[in-house]
Amino acid sequence: MNHVKLLFFATLRDRAGTKSMELDIPSDLTVQGLKEKISAEYPNLKESMLSVLITINREYAFDEAVIPQHAELAMFPPVSGG
Amino acid sequence: MEFPTIFSITEGEIDLNDLLAKITLTSTGAAAIFTGMVRGETTRDAAHETEYLEYEAYIPMAEAKMKQVADEIRERWPVVEGIAIVQRIGKLYPKTPTVLIACTAAHRDTGVFEAARYGIDRLKEIVPIWKKEVSPNGEFWVEGDYFPKAGE
Repeated sequence: MNHVKLLFFATLRDRAGTKSMELDIPSDLTVQGLKEKISAEYPNLKESMLSVLITINREYAFDEAVIPQHAELAMFPPVSGG
Repeated sequence: MEFPTIFSITEGEIDLNDLLAKITLTSTGAAAIFTGMVRGETTRDAAHETEYLEYEAYIPMAEAKMKQVADEIRERWPVVEGIAIVQRIGKLYPKTPTVLIACTAAHRDTGVFEAARYGIDRLKEIVPIWKKEVSPNGEFWVEGDYFPKAGE
């Protein structure tokens, strides 16, 4: 198992009801697998998983990426700064 | 000599004069500055009023992505001398500057205008910052529509 930290921002934080959580995940879990896990375990976030951006260690990550041990993950909607 | 690059997320006021001084070299003759502010009354598209905007950022990643935007500017416009990219976060009211992108160069016909334009466009694509709009009719998070690709 890998121990990781998951941060939420903007809409995702509101729907999750928390800024962050710590998770133990299988060591071969991919970004796609993480989205499926979150959808299954947090019904409030299920719809958000359809258009979410995910980062691993502060870089954008894509469905097939495998999540490393002690990763800092984040989930958020497309950005709207400026 | 190394050209100055400033990038930051701040809760304090954006000080244009201070930033401009920091990116002005003895060889500098032109600066292109873009700044965005909170618009209290919107008439284009869905007309509405804004009481305030509340900004938040994934600060360490946002600063790293601002650095990346500055690197991209330098790759495309090697003549650019100084670059400043600053985003203010927190609760910001109409007329308040929220973001500033400034690029300096020796002359104005060097692409310096385009460089600043590129900077604000990229910031709105890849830098993890969000704003919540609070209006007399309620509040909602503004969401962008850009999905970064691998390597961005």
